[in-house]
Order: sequence, then structure tokens, then C-alpha cells
Amino acid sequence: MSQQAREDQLQRKAVVLEYCTRRKRKERKRKSRGLSARQRRALRLFDIKPEQQRYSLFLPLHELWKQYIRDLCNGLKPDTQPQLIQAKLLKADLHGAIVSVTKSKCPSYVGVTGILLQETKHVFKIITKEDRLKVIPKLNCVFTVEIDGFISYIYGSKFQLRSSERSAKKFKAKGTVDL
Amino acid sequence: MAGPVKDREAFQRLSFLYQAAHCVLAQDPENQALATFYCHTERTIAKRLVLRRDPSVKRTLCRGCSSLLIPGLTCTQRQRRCRGQRWTVQTCLTCRRSQRFLNNPGHLLWGDRPEAQLGSQAGEQSQTTTAHAEHSPPHSSPPS
Repeated sequence: MSQQAREDQLQRKAVVLEYCTRRKRKERKRKSRGLSARQRRALRLFDIKPEQQRYSLFLPLHELWKQYIRDLCNGLKPDTQPQLIQAKLLKADLHGAIVSVTKSKCPSYVGVTGILLQETKHVFKIITKEDRLKVIPKLNCVFTVEIDGFISYIYGSKFQLRSSERSAKKFKAKGTVDL
Repeated sequence: MAGPVKDREAFQRLSFLYQAAHCVLAQDPENQALATFYCHTERTIAKRLVLRRDPSVKRTLCRGCSSLLIPGLTCTQRQRRCRGQRWTVQTCLTCRRSQRFLNNPGHLLWGDRPEAQLGSQAGEQSQTTTAHAEHSPPHSSPPS
């Protein structure tokens, strides 16, 4: 091609030199409501102070939980099948329940009993009678929850969900139920 | 429109979490972290299952940090005048986010209007008793 033709092409065509992306607008919209990272920095989790607060302070919470579960199951000792109660327990909330560890791969966890204070994706936070805050991972553990004579076992490996997601999820009977 | 069973259980759970947060705060006014955690769980459940909440309950929860708002303890309430009208301003102390409500004695919430009571179960989510939680008034169908 002759030089003139090349110059014509260069002068009359638009050549893109730099890209300027518009990323800033998208980021602004998301941060106004969520604030997830900043929230966690504000110590939404426990301080060490609650360990000075006694186990007895959480007993009313446990009473509240008992009433809630009784309400949910419509009775103290119904003759209905335990399957109904199991199905309801799956969707129910466990905060405030007295939970104990029966089986676990790590022997030091077995026998820990206390009131459930927080439930996150992988972990239960429990406060024992000696006012100690115990953090117990759900994986490879079997927990026992007792209500009014009904004892139910919870296999922690199947429960690797945040408590809020649990009420939205349908559980299927999959695989062997083992530690 | 009878409320399906799943919704009732979910509403009971929400109501339980709300009362638990109040209970925890009553026992220990200093530590608000646990109450905030419960309210955050509550908000996530309501978001996940798309449940309608009554405005009187929504107003006591902070939208920014989802902590329980109790005037005097976790938030401040002030009366202000703006453009010739009287507003009530609630400011959350943790995330410093404010909400403004207009002081209009003639203002009726949508849920209180007779048109919204078409559904079978009327009533708002009760705050105090441990009673069986009721649905917030259902969204009424548009007038035909």
C-alpha cells in the first residue's frame, strides 16, 4: 500500500489507545447495604467478658427454647412418630438448647455439655457449667439434643451449614451415616 | 389464603430468635454481640425465605448492622423539625446509621388499613408473649 493510503487510513480511523473500565460504579452500589467485612471488624463475635458472666444467666434462654420447641411440636409426649419431630427439628433453631457431644473422632470433645450460644457454618459455640466457652467443630461429631424425653442425635458432618441456610434447605438421606 | 405449614414454622423461628435476642439483652445490657448475632440470623432467614415482616418489628432492627435497637441502650431517639414538619430520628450507636419517621398522627400503616385485612389471619407478629407466631398481614390483591 502506498504511504498516502496508509496515512489516510490512520488519520480517518479511530484507534483505541487505552481502555478505561467503569468498575467504580458497580462497587459503590454493593457496599451501601452489606458492609460484611466492616461488620465483622466491629466484633460481632464474643469478647472474653462473657466468660465472667455465669452459666446461670443463660438459663432463661434455655427455658424460652423449651417453650418454643413445645409449641412447635404441639405437645409434650405425643404419640406421633418421632419422624415428624425430627423433620421439625431440622428446620428449627437450636440456639439455647442444651447440647452434648456423644461421639467424636477427637476423644477430648466427648462428654462436653452446655448451652448452644452461636452456630456458624462449621462450628458450635457452647458455654459449659464451669463458665467456659467451648468452640466445637461440627465435622465428625455426633451431638445429642434432648427435649421432654425425646432424645435426638445430630450428625454434625451433615450439618455443615449456617443455621439460616438450614431452614431453607431440604435434606436428603444420602450415604452412610457415620462419623 | 391459608398459611402453608413451612411458613408457620419459619415465622415461629423468627419470633423465637427475636425474643431470644431480647432475653439475652435483658440479662446482660453490656454485651450486645450475641443479640446482634441473633438478629443477623433472623434477617438472613427472612431474606432467604422471603418472609414479610411487620413494620413495628422492622423498625426495632437496624438495617445497617442488624442489631437490636432499644432507645436509651443501643440507639438514641430525637425529635427534630425539618421543613416545617416534625420527624423522629433514630440513630443506631454501633454503625451510626439513622432512620427518620414522620410524626403524622393521621398516618396509617398499610397493615392497619381495612383493605389489607382480606387474608384469613389478621394480626401482627407479637413481641411479648411466647404465643404461636402469626403471619404478618398478607399482601392484599389489587382491587379488581
